[in-house]
Amino acid sequence: MITLKDINKTYPGAAPLHVLKDISLNIGRGELVSIMGASGSGKSTLLNILGILDGYDSGEYWLDGKLIKNLSENRAADLRNRMIGFVFQSFNLISYKDAADNVALPLFYQGVGRRKRRALAMEQLEKLGLADRAHHLPGELSGGQKQRVAIARSLITRPSIILADEPTGALDSRTSKEVMQIFRDLNSQQGMTIAIVTHDPGVGEQTNRIIRISDGRIV
Amino acid sequence: MKTSIFDLENWREIGATLSRNKTRTFLTAFGIFWGTAMLAMLLGGEKGLEHKLMSNFEGFATNCAIIGSGRRTISYEGFNKGSYWSITTDDVEALRNGIPEIDAIAALYSVGGISVTDGSTATASMVQGVSPDFPKIFLPVIYDGRFINASDENASHKVCVIGKQVSEKIYGTESPVGQYLSVGGIYYRIVGVAGQTAEVQVGGAKIDEEVIIPMSAMRRNFNLGNSAGDVCILVRQGISPSSLQPRIERILGRAHHIHPDDHNAMFFFDIAEQFEMVEHLFAGVTLLAMFVGISSLIAGIIGVGNIMWVIVKERTNEIGIRRAIGARPSDIVMQILSEGVALTVVAGLSGIVFSTIVLAAAAKMIGPGFDLQLSTALGIMVTFVILGTLAGLIPSLKAMKIKPIEAINDK
Repeated sequence: MITLKDINKTYPGAAPLHVLKDISLNIGRGELVSIMGASGSGKSTLLNILGILDGYDSGEYWLDGKLIKNLSENRAADLRNRMIGFVFQSFNLISYKDAADNVALPLFYQGVGRRKRRALAMEQLEKLGLADRAHHLPGELSGGQKQRVAIARSLITRPSIILADEPTGALDSRTSKEVMQIFRDLNSQQGMTIAIVTHDPGVGEQTNRIIRISDGRIV
Repeated sequence: MKTSIFDLENWREIGATLSRNKTRTFLTAFGIFWGTAMLAMLLGGEKGLEHKLMSNFEGFATNCAIIGSGRRTISYEGFNKGSYWSITTDDVEALRNGIPEIDAIAALYSVGGISVTDGSTATASMVQGVSPDFPKIFLPVIYDGRFINASDENASHKVCVIGKQVSEKIYGTESPVGQYLSVGGIYYRIVGVAGQTAEVQVGGAKIDEEVIIPMSAMRRNFNLGNSAGDVCILVRQGISPSSLQPRIERILGRAHHIHPDDHNAMFFFDIAEQFEMVEHLFAGVTLLAMFVGISSLIAGIIGVGNIMWVIVKERTNEIGIRRAIGARPSDIVMQILSEGVALTVVAGLSGIVFSTIVLAAAAKMIGPGFDLQLSTALGIMVTFVILGTLAGLIPSLKAMKIKPIEAINDK
């Protein structure tokens, strides 16, 4: 599903920062992996590159058979929309839209009609046990519920991969477990490919493979 | 672009974002509202005022002047300072022949408080003697019959034209043409009924309130000798009446022993100059109106740009989320722009509606001309929407440059 070959990334500046050094890795279809590393190790940069949110200087990134390199802003936006589902530590829901509208938003940018968007969003929320919360604003939901709404949003476009950035970082241990269970179920029951970036060993343990990154290299 | 401005979602979002900070939205909208209302009221009202003032000159050949006689202010050729002189019929002919730029020349002489009666109903009225050129200069409205003509003048016919009000007072609704009317004890045959549209009075009364007789009959029946009273001249188009003043002074001065430097011995009133002054005044008023209107327009537009800027700043995180989940840069630009345009259109339309109501009230109270042309209203709206869009453009381009990672990490 994901193949990285000798990816290098340097942040330019007075003192250029070489954050990723010859990163090569493979994530197969249907894998549940975690990318672990200390802060400053380059794991966030790696996630940004995997999520087509940021470019890289040299190497190759293949996603689901497509070479992701030197894309225009529009092309990058389209690929993010169709191939990648994001789950963030701070949920990143839009505060003035209810849960169903938040889940439906990626479809809005595909030009899907409102009625169909809402129907698909409801279906997705139902699967995650949130049907009764569909008309609530994010501010009226608990942390765990917010993260489940965010997961529903990441799933709605049937992406190739879900990238989760510290998805349990803002949750207590009980809801963390719930969220991790959702990822595991998605992986085992639907064969969804999932990569979770975390520094929490407890989270890493629940994935099938741990990719450790330190000082810009995979160890 | 995949998202359409016709998608309901777009409008729901615009409504949602604009209603999130109602006070701020209201104040910004008020700036635009006031800007459009000011501009619309100034442009509409300025036309109404101009109409009001110009109506003074309506029905009046504007390139004309009135010449009157008076007292010498410098002793000259045996005539003392302070002695009277008067314009004569010979002077009228001398001016007509001596200055070819004069298209028409009319003598007029008024006497007020003359008893006018048909035998049963009497009224006191102003009687005015006029020469046949008079209607070329004063453009009276003929309601019935005809005006005084050259053959009346040459034969000193005892005919008269009576003002509309005089006619109504004595004859009611009947046509008085052909009837005989006693004016100061002498009977005149009525040949016409006249009035005027202008507000300007020449000789102390409006035509509507006067009895007009041939100048020759006036001189004979009121014992004026060869006096011509005051003289109105109509000057050829393109020539200013005042430019003829020195030649007129020379001709009259020679005939009446007036010192060449005695400019105060003669009364010279250039109506064209007055007319021009009003025109200049209005050019000034229009300019001022435009300046004030455009200033408030700019203030309103800057308000929109400012508010869009604040909105973009506030929503950096949200825009980042949208970009991450697949919004193209153009989607973001459209969203921000349409918010600015929606605000401008709604506030601008309210401004136009408000000014239309104010102008309608002014039209009712002051007079016609206080209305907003549809083209003016549309012009203001289009200008506002275009400028509103431009003002929103800078913030939305800034929004477009927001990178998803920076925005998402901006917690």
